[in-house]
Amino acid sequence: MSEIQNLTIPEIATITEIKDEIVDVRTFYLSFDARTGGEAPKIKSGQFVMCTVFGAGEFAVSLPACPENDRFHLTVRRVGKVTNALHALSAGDKIGIRGPFGNGFPFEEIKGKNIIYVAGGIGLIPLRSSIMHVMRNKDEFGRILLFLGARTPQELMYQYNLEEWKAAPGFETYITIDNPVPDWDGETGFVHTLIKKKNIPVKDTVAFVCGPPMMFNAVIKELTEMGIGEENIISTLERHMKCGIGKCQHCAIGRTLVCTDGPVYTYRQIKTLGEQI
Amino acid sequence: MYLIKKSSVLDIARELQKEYRVYGPVVEKETRQTMFTGVEDAAELDLNAPIPAMPPKHIVFPHFERIMSYTYDRAAKKADIRPDFDDSRKALFGIRSCDLTGIICLDRFFLGQEFVDEVYRNHRKNMFIVANTCTVPFKQCFCVCTDSGPSAREGFDLNLTDLGDQYLVEAGSEKGKKLAEKMGLAKADDSLAKRKEAIIDASVSKFDAIATDNKAWISRVVNRVTTGLIDEKVWEYIGNQCIECGACSYVCPSCSCFNIVDPQTSEEAADRMRTWDSCSYEGYSRMAGGHNPRKPVEDRRSKRFFCKLSYSQSKKYLRPGCVGCGRCQWVCPGDIGLPNVVTYIRRDIQQ
Amino acid sequence: MNYKSGICTFCGTGCGHLLDVRENRVHGVFPMQNHPVSKGRLCVRGWNVHELLNTNERITTPLIRKNGELVEASYDEAVSFLVENLSKYKKDTSDEIGFLASPRSSNEENYLLMKLARAVFRTNNICLDSDPGHRTTLDVLHAGTGMAGMLGSLEEISKSEFLMVVGIDITKQNPIIGSELHKAARAGATMVTIDTRNTQIAKLSKDFLQIRPGAYRIAMAYLAKVMIDENLHDADFVKRFTAGYEGFAASISSLRESDVEEKTGIPADRLKETARALARARSAMVFFSSGISGFDRDTISYIYNLFLAAGKVGREGCGVNPITGINNLQGSYDMGIAPDLLTGFQPLSDGAVLEKFGKEWGVKLNGAPGSSVYDLMDRLKAMVVVDHDESIIRNVSEISKMEFVAYIGAFRNNFMNYAHVVLPVSTYIESDGTFTNTERRVQLTRKKIEPAKNIIPGWQLYVKIAEKAGVKWSYGSPADVMNEIAKLTPGYASISHDTLSAIGGMKWPNGAARFDIEKSGAKAAFAPTIANFAVPVASQEYPILLMIGESQHYWHQNNLMKKTNLPLREYNATLLLYPQGYVAISPQNAKELNVRDRFPVKITSPYGSMEAMVQVTDKVKPNTAYVAYFVDEMVTKFFMEHKDVLKRGEDSTIPVRIAKV
Repeated sequence: MSEIQNLTIPEIATITEIKDEIVDVRTFYLSFDARTGGEAPKIKSGQFVMCTVFGAGEFAVSLPACPENDRFHLTVRRVGKVTNALHALSAGDKIGIRGPFGNGFPFEEIKGKNIIYVAGGIGLIPLRSSIMHVMRNKDEFGRILLFLGARTPQELMYQYNLEEWKAAPGFETYITIDNPVPDWDGETGFVHTLIKKKNIPVKDTVAFVCGPPMMFNAVIKELTEMGIGEENIISTLERHMKCGIGKCQHCAIGRTLVCTDGPVYTYRQIKTLGEQI
Repeated sequence: MYLIKKSSVLDIARELQKEYRVYGPVVEKETRQTMFTGVEDAAELDLNAPIPAMPPKHIVFPHFERIMSYTYDRAAKKADIRPDFDDSRKALFGIRSCDLTGIICLDRFFLGQEFVDEVYRNHRKNMFIVANTCTVPFKQCFCVCTDSGPSAREGFDLNLTDLGDQYLVEAGSEKGKKLAEKMGLAKADDSLAKRKEAIIDASVSKFDAIATDNKAWISRVVNRVTTGLIDEKVWEYIGNQCIECGACSYVCPSCSCFNIVDPQTSEEAADRMRTWDSCSYEGYSRMAGGHNPRKPVEDRRSKRFFCKLSYSQSKKYLRPGCVGCGRCQWVCPGDIGLPNVVTYIRRDIQQ
Repeated sequence: MNYKSGICTFCGTGCGHLLDVRENRVHGVFPMQNHPVSKGRLCVRGWNVHELLNTNERITTPLIRKNGELVEASYDEAVSFLVENLSKYKKDTSDEIGFLASPRSSNEENYLLMKLARAVFRTNNICLDSDPGHRTTLDVLHAGTGMAGMLGSLEEISKSEFLMVVGIDITKQNPIIGSELHKAARAGATMVTIDTRNTQIAKLSKDFLQIRPGAYRIAMAYLAKVMIDENLHDADFVKRFTAGYEGFAASISSLRESDVEEKTGIPADRLKETARALARARSAMVFFSSGISGFDRDTISYIYNLFLAAGKVGREGCGVNPITGINNLQGSYDMGIAPDLLTGFQPLSDGAVLEKFGKEWGVKLNGAPGSSVYDLMDRLKAMVVVDHDESIIRNVSEISKMEFVAYIGAFRNNFMNYAHVVLPVSTYIESDGTFTNTERRVQLTRKKIEPAKNIIPGWQLYVKIAEKAGVKWSYGSPADVMNEIAKLTPGYASISHDTLSAIGGMKWPNGAARFDIEKSGAKAAFAPTIANFAVPVASQEYPILLMIGESQHYWHQNNLMKKTNLPLREYNATLLLYPQGYVAISPQNAKELNVRDRFPVKITSPYGSMEAMVQVTDKVKPNTAYVAYFVDEMVTKFFMEHKDVLKRGEDSTIPVRIAKV
């Protein structure tokens, strides 16, 4: 935990830059007012923060930034009252941040393994920090594969990173969109069918999967059928959260609280929780 | 152990009033309903009043409260946050052992997990607790089955037991002892401890048959609730009767779910409010955008009873979440207060 | 003691609560354990009423529109502005001016508004939003028994052996009454639900008869016919206490079993069993929605006639029980909020009544009934609206054309956008007032906090308006107003704020628990019915019957609910999933259309079409569909084309065709 207390009371941050990603999705770069040089709190890949939009409320949002070398930022799709209010802000405006909270991705435990990322649509947001981390530390891992799916080419997240990843040596990047459209000469079809078509490693492999429930279930089915164990499939869960510190109980699933025990779980854990994804 | 004459017992409250705002059982005149509430005049307090309609939970975890307020000036690019924690000195006078157990659950949950809840910590920081032994149980009580009564064993500064013409006063903390000494209370003979035990035994024997016949009637279902080995039809039967009013959570001494909202107080200012919430509400787990992982009402019901009755949740409270006060049975518009739910699950186990 | 007892004022149940009042603010709420109706229970609305009472969305100052903008004004200026403007228009029988009263106002406020309209501004064009829903029910019951209110009693639900729930999602709309029914059923009463949708109360019933839309009338008529054919009706009761039985029996004799099965979609055997169970029970009650829409007159008449023939009216544990949605809907009619009524359902056209009121008020009153504001919408030049919900959207074009609109209320509302003057009033906890619940129970709720700076209670505002218009009213308090009401209203004769001070208040007439056939003095008359058993039929071209639901979704658009967080979140649940509204269809139809939940579809009727998302649910039968009419975004031109259908109330249907988009 950082020395700045922000468990209950948010600390104030300034939006330094806003980037349009895809329709309804924007990235907000932040500088922290009370910290030297506006420097961000230390984060772990896979964690989340609680973001206050003044006058509208607070919401939980995963951190896409690479802990080692990225500027601190949030990528947010507008879905409700608060996220809409955030989208109405511009550079220079203030917001509040609590956190980071949550467990983060288990990089130590997966050293030496092959890594497969499967992301559907904005499911790439919480996986981005992990991808960036793995890219920086390529030598620690075996084969690295990226499967990204979106409904249309316009809905592909982080286009500026995609080019970088496609070009990165040792990265096998596959991108698909749901249906053929003019000006798209890449793969088409759902992402889980794409996995089947490619020769993916199964032994000593860990898969990170994130995306809408339908896509998630289809991908899990495919991966487990191919022989990847449920304990080697990792995802990050999204739940309705209010406090972030394990008290409000909104994110309780069975015996676990997504905010403090998660949000990163293996599929084996998720399965025993007994709720829909 | 000390003694105080019955006619003087409220002097303890009066002594506390010098340093604390005193809360205790008061019978509301018009409705004859006992409410646990703050008093100006200690004479309003009634240690013989029936169990309060509402547990004193609201004193440490209010129905709704402001935890901070803020202003923001978009034009000037300025924001200012002011925390608003309540750390005023409060004394709970005459709290029943079930309700005290509820506060112990809340303490362990809010203060004892990975993070400490600042809002709650401030409420609890400067508190004095005087418990009151139930020498006669009330109709709906079953604390003997949940190990939370009829007399408190921990968590109090002073514990009162009605011995007939006087009260036995046990100190549970240094703070309690100091107060008793300061008031110059008479020391009690050790033999009175036995007399207290006898009074408690007599009280236990007066509980409703369901609680006295088999004190393990609740613990038998704990295993099933933890493992989930309960026929879905039982939850459906229970869920069908839930009208989603949230009352069971609101009156539960150990339920602590809350919601957070930021109502605007002017164009450029808002308060951050914490309000009670209930897992029985459909909107409770619904995410922005509409996806709700927990949809059918029976899902949400099983969630609450998991909290009250499972080993997993008990680990957080170091005891079962249910404290046997029976209030959920009072307020439930269905017929699914916790004792009934236990009965339905047991019926299922028998079959 | 900081807990103050009072009455919840969301719905027509009238539950008792204790408010935690400190430093002139409400800090919490708790149910009143020994309240005769709620007995220590509250619903999600009641448990969170403090959110409403602490809202920042109050109207905090009188406002006058100047150059298009509402600007702050004093009460004096705003009231003068109102009176000057209203004085411009023609009086008496004119169609130029109208008053739209609120079913949430207290009896005292509504009485004064009624008096203001008739005696000061000389118009009888005064009505409630919920015209004609509850009014239709009251007309039927009043014509039959002389009692314009629930014939039974909520307190006697536990004494009833047979409970029939017709077309009301009661555990959502009036949850505590739903609870009372559920508990009675658990204790042994036979509960049967007849509804087009599979509601929670249906699941809790012994039998659930899922009926095709538009066929309630036929089901009720058939139940009566079975009873009569099998000689199970209470012949002795009918002979001793009723009139007009033969006419009723004749009107249903032509019903044929096969026809009934086809039209209702319910096997005749199950209807027969229900009729027998109803007849054999020693006591029986029926509950139906009577709030924002309710049934048409014919359906209500058949329900009433069925229970009269069964001898289940006017006895202990019996009754025909309309359930009001809004807290003071019953009280509003009691106070004469109707173009043709004075208080206590006394007709304006009755010379003696008119004389009595004229004498008390010191004016000569116009005995010609006015019109409903809704019937005059396109002719009115000026309108006064009190504390209103969002149904304005239906009439927004007419209202924006009016020369003068005044809005009176405690909470901000869309109506303010169309108002030329806005007059704030205090809320129900800032003044004394009485409210009459669905079972005619008049309850007093006392002032608990001081109103915000400069805000006055409704009754004082009306006194002020009268004074500006040159009439001096000398009420010193709401209690004085009630004394005048009691003087003029036979049913309220023994009611005063003193007699209401006990918990639970007092029911009219004069404390009677329910209608009593033995004491009634006159025979109960069967309601005239027409032997017309036609139902809306689907055709090959328009194969699906679209049901138009209002009451179920009433709370979504309720102006009070919009000021809360938790209750709004809960009642809005469906709407958040389907923000543009939805049409509910059965899984079978969804399969045929090849659509899944939340897919867009196009709904086409002979008169128009609209697009909406589908909700796939087994709550509706195959080939029926349900649309929540009260959703803002759905009140499109499509519904405007079907205004006449909508007037038929809860049972209105439109044959449509649904296609995937």
